Amino acid sequence: MKNLKLVLKPMALLTVLGMLFTACSEKLEENDGQLATDDLDFTNMSDMILPVYGAYSVTYSRGWEDPLLLGVRGDDVNAGGLGDQPLFAQTDLYNYDNGFWMFNQVWINFYKDLADIINSMELLERYKVFATGQDITRADQYIAETKVLSAYQHLNMAKLWGNIFIIKTTDFDAETNNGVDTKMEVLQYVSDLMDEAIPFLPDVRPNERVDIPGGVTKYTALAIKAMANLEMENYQGVADATGQIISSSKFSLFPDFYELFKKPGELSNENLFELQFSDYNQSSGAANNHEYGPFGPANWTPVVKTADPGWGFYEPSVKFIKFMLDRGETKRLLTSVLFTPDGISQIKSDPSYATLPNFISNVTPDGDQINNYARAKFASGKHYLPSNQLTEGRNNYGSSKNFIVIRYSEILLMYAEALTRGASGTTMTADQAVNTVRVRADMAPLSGVTSDQVMEEKFAELAMEWGVRYFDMIRLNKYDELSYDGRTFSADKELLPYPQAQLDLLPLENN
Amino acid sequence: MKAKLVLFLFFLFSYTVSQAQESTVTGTVTSAEDNLPIPGVNVLVKGTNRGTSTDFDGNYSLQVAKGEVLEFSSIGFKSVDITIDSQTTLNVGLVSDVEALGEIVVIGYGTQRKVDLTGAITTVKAEDIEKTPNSNVMQSLQGKVAGVQIVSSGAPGASPTVRIRGVNSFSAGGGPLYVVDGMWYENIDFLDNSQIETVSVLKDVSSIAIFGQRGVNGVIIIETKSGKFEMKPVITYNGYTGVQYARNVVKMANAEQFTTMAYESGSAPDIQFVENAIARFGRSRVNPNLPDVNTDWYKEVLRPATISSHSIGVTGGGESASYGVSTNYFSQDGILDMKNEYERFNIQSNVDVKVTDRLRIGTNSIFSNALRYNPENSAWFQAYFAVPILPVFDYVNPDAVTTPYSDATVLGYRGSQNPFPVMRYNENQLKIRKVLTSIYGEFDIVPEKLTFKTSYYHDYSTISERNVRSLYYISPNSNRQQPDTSIRRAEQDYSTQIWDNTLTYKDQFGNHNLTLLAGSSYRDEQVNSFSATGNDIQGIAFESSWYLNFADPTKFNDNVSEIGDRFYALAYFGRLEYGFDDRYLVNATVRTEGDAKFPREIWKTTPQIGVGWVISQESFMQENGVFDFLKLRGSWGQLPNAALGGSAGTRTVSQVTLAIQDLLTNGIISTNDFTDLKREILEETNVGLSARMFQNKLTLEADYYIRDTKDLVVPVIQRITNQSLIKNAGEMRNEGLELSADWSQRVSDNWSFSIGANIGTNKNTITKIESDQGYFDTGEAEFRQRLIVGEPINSFFGVEVAGVYQNAAEVAADPVAVANNLVPGDLKYVDQNGDDVIDDADRVVLGSYLPTLTYGGNMQVSYKNFDLSVAVSGQSGNSILNRKRGEVIFTNDTNIDADFAINRWHGEGTTNSYPSSAARRKGWNQKMSSFFVEDGMYFRIQNIQLAYTIPSGSLLGQRSPETKITFTADRPFTFFKYNGFNPEVSDGIDRQTYPIPAVYTVGINIKI
Repeated sequence: MKNLKLVLKPMALLTVLGMLFTACSEKLEENDGQLATDDLDFTNMSDMILPVYGAYSVTYSRGWEDPLLLGVRGDDVNAGGLGDQPLFAQTDLYNYDNGFWMFNQVWINFYKDLADIINSMELLERYKVFATGQDITRADQYIAETKVLSAYQHLNMAKLWGNIFIIKTTDFDAETNNGVDTKMEVLQYVSDLMDEAIPFLPDVRPNERVDIPGGVTKYTALAIKAMANLEMENYQGVADATGQIISSSKFSLFPDFYELFKKPGELSNENLFELQFSDYNQSSGAANNHEYGPFGPANWTPVVKTADPGWGFYEPSVKFIKFMLDRGETKRLLTSVLFTPDGISQIKSDPSYATLPNFISNVTPDGDQINNYARAKFASGKHYLPSNQLTEGRNNYGSSKNFIVIRYSEILLMYAEALTRGASGTTMTADQAVNTVRVRADMAPLSGVTSDQVMEEKFAELAMEWGVRYFDMIRLNKYDELSYDGRTFSADKELLPYPQAQLDLLPLENN
Repeated sequence: MKAKLVLFLFFLFSYTVSQAQESTVTGTVTSAEDNLPIPGVNVLVKGTNRGTSTDFDGNYSLQVAKGEVLEFSSIGFKSVDITIDSQTTLNVGLVSDVEALGEIVVIGYGTQRKVDLTGAITTVKAEDIEKTPNSNVMQSLQGKVAGVQIVSSGAPGASPTVRIRGVNSFSAGGGPLYVVDGMWYENIDFLDNSQIETVSVLKDVSSIAIFGQRGVNGVIIIETKSGKFEMKPVITYNGYTGVQYARNVVKMANAEQFTTMAYESGSAPDIQFVENAIARFGRSRVNPNLPDVNTDWYKEVLRPATISSHSIGVTGGGESASYGVSTNYFSQDGILDMKNEYERFNIQSNVDVKVTDRLRIGTNSIFSNALRYNPENSAWFQAYFAVPILPVFDYVNPDAVTTPYSDATVLGYRGSQNPFPVMRYNENQLKIRKVLTSIYGEFDIVPEKLTFKTSYYHDYSTISERNVRSLYYISPNSNRQQPDTSIRRAEQDYSTQIWDNTLTYKDQFGNHNLTLLAGSSYRDEQVNSFSATGNDIQGIAFESSWYLNFADPTKFNDNVSEIGDRFYALAYFGRLEYGFDDRYLVNATVRTEGDAKFPREIWKTTPQIGVGWVISQESFMQENGVFDFLKLRGSWGQLPNAALGGSAGTRTVSQVTLAIQDLLTNGIISTNDFTDLKREILEETNVGLSARMFQNKLTLEADYYIRDTKDLVVPVIQRITNQSLIKNAGEMRNEGLELSADWSQRVSDNWSFSIGANIGTNKNTITKIESDQGYFDTGEAEFRQRLIVGEPINSFFGVEVAGVYQNAAEVAADPVAVANNLVPGDLKYVDQNGDDVIDDADRVVLGSYLPTLTYGGNMQVSYKNFDLSVAVSGQSGNSILNRKRGEVIFTNDTNIDADFAINRWHGEGTTNSYPSSAARRKGWNQKMSSFFVEDGMYFRIQNIQLAYTIPSGSLLGQRSPETKITFTADRPFTFFKYNGFNPEVSDGIDRQTYPIPAVYTVGINIKI
């Protein structure tokens, strides 16, 4: 009996323990510390803007390699950073190594952004299901905005690699299983996607937008459509899209070409699309900046002494400088190029350029003095922010400076080119379009402009910007222009090879 | 009873021995087998706490009253009780206890006689651990346990990487589960070596099984020192102090070699930089082509560093209570010349009490308080790359605040290169505090048969981190301005609770021995991490203002974060231990475990079974003259692996920021990377043999295992996003043989020796890949690693170097060289498929970071009071990716190791394995190739120790304690081929590894 009691007492204890465990085991269903997409409140319409901001955020936060790789092969610019990134220099010489880390990095930069943008689009579709009244319009507009951002990424990818994957949904395996789409298919997709988006986009200039100042509008979509058509050599398409932008009369050139690329030119009436950055005018704390270092001179004596120099990776070509000098350009040359003393001597060493105009100097209009450095002789002026425009305490090269992607003068020149290549446009003549651009640059007006003259104007106006020059030259098969300073260009050099890491990952093949 | 306990606790250090009606008994204790004296035999007056132990010659002396009983006990011998009548001399011969030699082994939730084990368990004792001066007990196990690979870390307070039977999971951290006095840990850096009594390494699945999924990488059970009932109090002091030196420091190119490389590179800027250095720092008078600078950066950043440890402990016990109390202090400076050190102070106590005949309770607590200053590991990296033509200080710089460190940008280089600014102006402090408390109660429901035990453990730890970035100015390129000065504070607190309940039934009938265990374990783990970074610190020059209050309060915007995680697990388990006639053994375990991380499969049950046959107990083996003990063992089991990171079963949202018209704006992005994970299953078959031969002089253990990881979780790089996502998509096998043999022999009264060796082989193979392509890529795109069926996990993958093009004719004759515009001095790759093109199809496996062989050995010789021991260890079969050399793909304008500089190709016939200086900068030669993958084998003299023991006795009429003085050289010599300063690289990718110092110490050990 006593023994039984001895056994029973612990049994009771065990029963209690058993009950406690049941309570414990319910905790196995919990999961702390994560926000699941499904937990978002899709009925809360004030949050619907968050995914759009997300899409802009990934678009703005461009890797520093992106503009460099897009632009470096043009005859307007060369790889600087000599001795530092030899494969970048080789790329400039049209010798491509598909193991070069930068190719893969840029591929990932664009496609990762694209994945995020498409994800945002799908989130917005889920908000739209619960939207009513005005919110449906707003949802449609946001979705249209993500389409514009998607189109911009597709366009860049197609320019660099030609045949690529079109990504429409987040089922990435399904989107890639059937192999790449041809470059023409991608460009047509971009053009069609813009047609789809335009009806839902605000009919204003980006800087007129109140909800998202500087965000994309109908005109951004038209501009991207025009660019896709230009790549397709569908010049009537280019004339129609650019014609719509011009005839809206909403855009005008910013009067001061030099300041257009500095803080005063941010969100100006000339800008159709720009990546916005800011250090919020605070000496420390949060900042969303682009890494402009690669564009800057590696040695300088800035007015604001603490300002950081750049890396000297992006060097305007002597060909471009001489081209500009030959044309008698002043403002645009001054704005596009920063000269080192060695650079000036190098130009002068050519007897034809023994005397240079007075404005050619290693001191910028804002007083920053560019010194010699071994890696390059010139630096990009359009990506330069004078040290006296930096927020006090912020020393990163170009801190807080916006990055203009599409501006009105490119629209005018695309329009002019389309007309000279036989497209019809009623908004203005090709002469008018080209001269609007020339007037600001203090250049005499032209009459009866030819296609070649338009291309020269684009060279002078858009040098150093996003590879505009390079992609124009390969579109027109002007390989002789790209065969300069010892380079030899040929048709097989137009596109970059697919990066090795992507060959290993995707159904892709290099020829 | 209670009063007695209180008395114990108060007078630990001042115990007295009662003196009533006693006489002195003296005598010698010898081994009945060979009549040799046995030192260290416990001699205890039964039922009291009075006792002593025999000295080196087996002699003892004790005050005893008539009628009392003396108990003589020693490990490996049967205990003897003798009642004192009137004798004053009592010599005792002890009979060796074969079964006791097998001793008791700690297994999960219980103990087992070693002879009854059917799995693979290796136990290491305190005396082996104490030989190595270091902060982490696992470091002491290097080379001691077959099949266990220890990869050291040289940074003070850092934990080594521990791999048991290879790598069994891709995703789960490779570390074993540590069970310290019943509490579970992933990291035991808080424990002091002197606190540890035994370390048991559970290697095979059947032994681990009772611990469930957390034990998948092996289990290490650590028992800390505690008292025993009826034990005379022992006071122990252990201490050492010593110095650490970096060994095998890699030679970098000196100024002359570097300049030669620069001139041969053909890069005009690099030649210009040398000229710039001459212009700034002057011209060498010895060689006018060189600047007057020749900096050996490693020499500059390294320093000798001190290490010391002191611990004092008391253990003892009476009839109804036993106790252990200890405290210890450890300090170690880092060999990197910055604020880089580790200091730890621990206190520990435990008490066990017999409340009644049937109820026992006890408590254990450890408090650990550590202060660590972490090194800036980037300094190693920078020291490797900094050019030798740059001095440490540049006195030509008038703008420098506060120290004129040099800056390579003044010579034209892109980076400032000098490692000293990060070493001087950054400080990383961690305060690590840990409290572990546990209580248990054990009740005999049916005495001697049925026992219930409940244990509750709570571990509370905090890590308080402070990273200070102070003000300096060297140049526009190298500076930290006032607004950028910062303090980052992070507070992490961890709370882990475990509640275990077990019911054990033991019985014996006839020749049958039976133990049944049923139990449950509930676990609750919480972590909270709060961090904030403040900028623009007022008074940054003074440590007194290193608080966030001195930061600009308006700038915390983006810099405050809190992350939390809470996790619960519940498990039920049962075990059967059955033995028939001590000949046939069966051990079976089953465990059911619930885990919130797997929403689709919360509960998982896995079985394990082990069988053993003690051949030496069979009649035909009696009196065989060779084997004292022989057992064949076999086990099979499955174990789930759950240490796979958080649940990935859902799409998640994260916050991003952007600037909209200069306004900081928040947005969200959503990822659709989700996966439906199952647990990995580790399935193992283990067969083994245990033997003792030649009068127990030779001990042999052998194990062969095959373990398969099914549903292997691998990170799969996702198309388009290029993010990796874990999925169950493969299988992996580890297969190996473990052998250990120990011979110990007492040659004469004065001489004895022991010698031991162990080896472990491991072959790791991917056996299945579920992917369209048939492989998974891992590692970085430029340094590709790959999972391929038939090859080890994360194999290095690239092209194979065939040689170097020697002359123009050779180039012209090779279509590959022609097509790629190669020149003499460029590397020649093997065209694996013979298509005259070198492309991705020519890539092959270049090596694996996992050794196929690890081994260790030890030898100990004792002569009278001298002991000399030597331990060695090593490994082979693994490769190291010399990522430092490979870094040239990202940045060229850096220094290179002297081996490369000296052996570079510089003309026909100079070398067929190194490219030229110019070739080094070409993309062609920067491909992932066998040039960058080197042999990682090493052999090391692990430890040499000379000890002298002064036996307890009398000194100048006073009683003197037993004292041992030791001289130790730890890791004094390492031999290897790899071209780096440290062949111990845990993941095989050498980028910035802290060097492993050699340690020389003098120690003293006093036992009262």
